[in-house]
Amino acid sequence: MRKAADRLLTVFAWTCGLGIVAVAAGIVVFLCLRGAHTLGPRLLFDDVPWWQAVSGQRPVFGGLWPAVVGTLCLTLGAAAVAIPLGVAAGVYLAEYGGRWTRSFSALVDLLAAVPSVVMGLFGFGLILFLRKTLLPEANTCLLLSIFCLALLVLPYPIRTTETALRALSPEMRLLGPSLGLSQWQSLWRIHLPAASRGILSGVILAVGRAAEDTAVILLTGVVANAGVPGGLTAHFEALPFTIYYLAAEHRTGDELDRAFGAAIVLLALTAALFVLATWIERGLHRRWRPQP
Amino acid sequence: MSQQPPAAPAVEIRGLSVQFGGLTALNDVSLTVPAQSITVVVGPSGAGKTTLLRAINRLNECFAGCRTAGSVRVQLGGASVDVYGGSYPPAALRRQAAMVFQTPSVLPLSVARNFAVPLGAVLGLGRGEIAERMEHALREVQLYDEVKDRLHAPAQNLSGGQQQRLCLARALALRPSLLLLDEPTANLDFRVTRQIEELLVRLKTQYTILAVSHSLGQTRRLADHVAVLSGGCIVRTLDRSHLRDAAVFESLVEEVF
Repeated sequence: MRKAADRLLTVFAWTCGLGIVAVAAGIVVFLCLRGAHTLGPRLLFDDVPWWQAVSGQRPVFGGLWPAVVGTLCLTLGAAAVAIPLGVAAGVYLAEYGGRWTRSFSALVDLLAAVPSVVMGLFGFGLILFLRKTLLPEANTCLLLSIFCLALLVLPYPIRTTETALRALSPEMRLLGPSLGLSQWQSLWRIHLPAASRGILSGVILAVGRAAEDTAVILLTGVVANAGVPGGLTAHFEALPFTIYYLAAEHRTGDELDRAFGAAIVLLALTAALFVLATWIERGLHRRWRPQP
Repeated sequence: MSQQPPAAPAVEIRGLSVQFGGLTALNDVSLTVPAQSITVVVGPSGAGKTTLLRAINRLNECFAGCRTAGSVRVQLGGASVDVYGGSYPPAALRRQAAMVFQTPSVLPLSVARNFAVPLGAVLGLGRGEIAERMEHALREVQLYDEVKDRLHAPAQNLSGGQQQRLCLARALALRPSLLLLDEPTANLDFRVTRQIEELLVRLKTQYTILAVSHSLGQTRRLADHVAVLSGGCIVRTLDRSHLRDAAVFESLVEEVF
């Protein structure tokens, strides 16, 4: 009986694992079947030579380039705000939090439960409020989207940092203080480096979420033909939004295929950002632990 | 023995009580630890041995809900420090009352970085001095010849006994006045245990050692003074004269277990 249950569990675990691989592979294959033939310089830059587009000499109207730049700015901007804040908040919860830990933790859960469209509405409302009060000139823009996206993805680095730090063994926790390191030194030189793998997973989740989200930017500054963003207060284009409107408003099959092409580009972009995040984590970890 | 006893005891504990979240771990403990000798605390599991050690370097405070009452005075660099007096920084205290844990707790780094991290962070030493202190400490625990070619290899690859000697060396490299050893040989085989015991006997000429042990045999081999802890109270203190006869010693201790 127990043997049968064991075997059943093994089969179930394998099925689940293979199922995930199959779904992920299915999505990639489907995207490639529909969109691979659109990939090429034309998809990104239309008929503008790439060096002129990348150096900003000529604007690109028909290609994805402005949306790629917009998504990069959004994702890196949101990560630059959310990761330091989130890691610091996770450290507070795991290492310093006193009697406020529980209420703080509940608030983090609440933040994680906020749907992205509500976060977009919040940003939109914030701009309306600012226009009526302090900044009559304020408008939806890249900065506002970055701020709202950062808020949206903040719970990921908070939770993973907290969990990774709490998972350290009690000996590891006592080791720093027992050697005379201050709480800050223990944290900075022992706990955070030892927990960096766990923190990285939160960073990847946050980056992925910030790169794909459409609802927040829809209400806070994305515009179909804004071009490459001119600055933090400018409107911008973004890949998820481009995919959305290409798919929703296509008139020819060719336009729909370009949406699939854009989806492949977005997938490649997030994959590149994950590689970058892993690479940075490895570099930091190697500085702490020079040998493999 | 013609040697004059040292003027001041290394550690003087008076009326020490420690509670964790309302549960009493130590209750009105008083103990004197003479300098440059080995004092061993024995007692059944849960008697509060580890808590007693950690009360001296204030490591109990790293746990939530810890309340400490009473006084602990420690001789550090010629001055008598009131540990719970409030004016002495815990980090400085812990550096000078160095602790070695029951399980070898090396940092998951190279052997050399195990010295460089604390020595750099705590004492702000430069590379040259760190290397010098590391070599000296590793020689003190007779580990240098075994690891000199693998200083940059992960410390976790060393054997259990080597790791524990590394931890001891790391503590010694901070040049402490007092060594707090929490069952330092609990996870080691008898040969390595003997090796570490011989080491401790040699080290007691330079350091005051307060150790926790679960082995009565080890206690007999090491101790100059013994405190028997049970249920959070010190129920008996013994000295070398009680240790000579194994049967007498064991019956004395077993009485209170």
